Amino acid sequence: MRYSIYPGCTMEGPALFFLKATEAVAEALGMHLDEIPDWNCCGASEVSGVVGEFTQQVMTARNLAIAEAKGQDVLVACSSCYMNMGLTNKHFKDDPHFAQMANEALAAGGLKYNGTLKVRQIVDILVNDIGLDKIKARVKKPLTGLKVAGYVGCQTVRALPWEYDDPERPVLLDQLIEALGATAVPFPMKARCCGSSHAIAQTEIVLEHSKEILESAASNGASMLVTNCPMCQMNLDAFRGMINQVHKTNLTLPILFFTQLMAIAFDLPPAVAGLKHCVVSPYEVLAPLGVGK
Amino acid sequence: MVDNKISSAPVKYDNSFAKEIYALENGHYAQICMQCGMCAVSCATHDIMDYSPRRLFNLVRVGKKEEVMRSNTMWMCTACCMCKVRCPRGIPLVDVMHDLKAMAIKQGYVDYPHAAFHQAFWQEAFSRGRVFEGGIMARFILKRGLGEIKKLLALGMKDMGMGMLKHGRVPLVPPRKIKGLKELQQIIQRAQALQEKEAK
Repeated sequence: MRYSIYPGCTMEGPALFFLKATEAVAEALGMHLDEIPDWNCCGASEVSGVVGEFTQQVMTARNLAIAEAKGQDVLVACSSCYMNMGLTNKHFKDDPHFAQMANEALAAGGLKYNGTLKVRQIVDILVNDIGLDKIKARVKKPLTGLKVAGYVGCQTVRALPWEYDDPERPVLLDQLIEALGATAVPFPMKARCCGSSHAIAQTEIVLEHSKEILESAASNGASMLVTNCPMCQMNLDAFRGMINQVHKTNLTLPILFFTQLMAIAFDLPPAVAGLKHCVVSPYEVLAPLGVGK
Repeated sequence: MVDNKISSAPVKYDNSFAKEIYALENGHYAQICMQCGMCAVSCATHDIMDYSPRRLFNLVRVGKKEEVMRSNTMWMCTACCMCKVRCPRGIPLVDVMHDLKAMAIKQGYVDYPHAAFHQAFWQEAFSRGRVFEGGIMARFILKRGLGEIKKLLALGMKDMGMGMLKHGRVPLVPPRKIKGLKELQQIIQRAQALQEKEAK
């Protein structure tokens, strides 16, 4: 199966290892990913707050216009990127006036988008296109006994509600965790906000929210979290020292991208899983499964 | 003592501010709010907001421009979309908040550091086609001054940065500008011109 992939800025920066693990897992499952040539930033949750929604969506649409030549579904992993690409695409399909205006703007760069593509979240593709059975069959090292809290975060399931999962109590990520042989623990805060991009402008928000999410995972018996959101991963991982310092806690649960966990279960080379890039060490938790440095 | 001297004359509101808000891209949605408060109970940052979105919409109706524009409400929004999913009137609250932010920046209500962060992000995206964390940080600090660094350091940001560096998470050189940057900028400028024309 072939897809176009929109990595987004964070996946060539702080979450590059998410991209690497995702590409390797996709290959192991027989998927072929073509990166959208010369893609640009989707604007995240920031740009429309400066120049307005229309301008941001037109900016995002440049990527769709370029990808349309291949005609393949567009795979997006990052949550904000998925939200912007998905909403922009929906706008093109539902609102002819928007589509006409947006194309008038795109024409300034010699582009046009006809609204023929589908924008898909990677979790959606893995469960609904590839299928849990195929994933189970590819597992070489079942993660038996590993208790995992699946942290979905906010934007992926709420950008286009019910597109592929419940916007408040999503289940697909848990199904993926279970397909790897691990146990998905009950996790009431799985779709709560981590504080998102407030990390710089008002760090306290991130520290407070991330603390609550980590405590919820721990109190439900998880020994680690996995997520599909680069922002969530960074806030819960890289900010851990600050969380523990400010809130006088000792929260030690590691947080991985779910494709890293898939790479481990598929027994792909350690470099692919990229565990060394996690700030909170996952090695102790993974030692019983024979995963070392 | 209860003040019983309530005038029977109708209360007159200045609706010029409400009109200004309703003219924003998603501003008209504020008109259909039925004041149920679902947004308030769903909000991730409600406890630190000056006014919940429900109250903010009410303030718009009664013409309290300064209260609305100087409030932290829109800046506290994390775009988690819980209110947007739950609103029984289908108001895309996150998008209304974005409109309010854009309007605040345009009119100079930029006291909150979030305004500088949004502008830094936008400038980085516009000038490179992609964003680089180091670039956003530098632009943010330039706008806000060194006080922001001190605040971040007091919370332990230095260790955070070192941790990221140690684990190979910080690209030291910014990614190259996209090849089609000139075209992207032309597209954005045309979009902005169309957007302004549409607003009139």
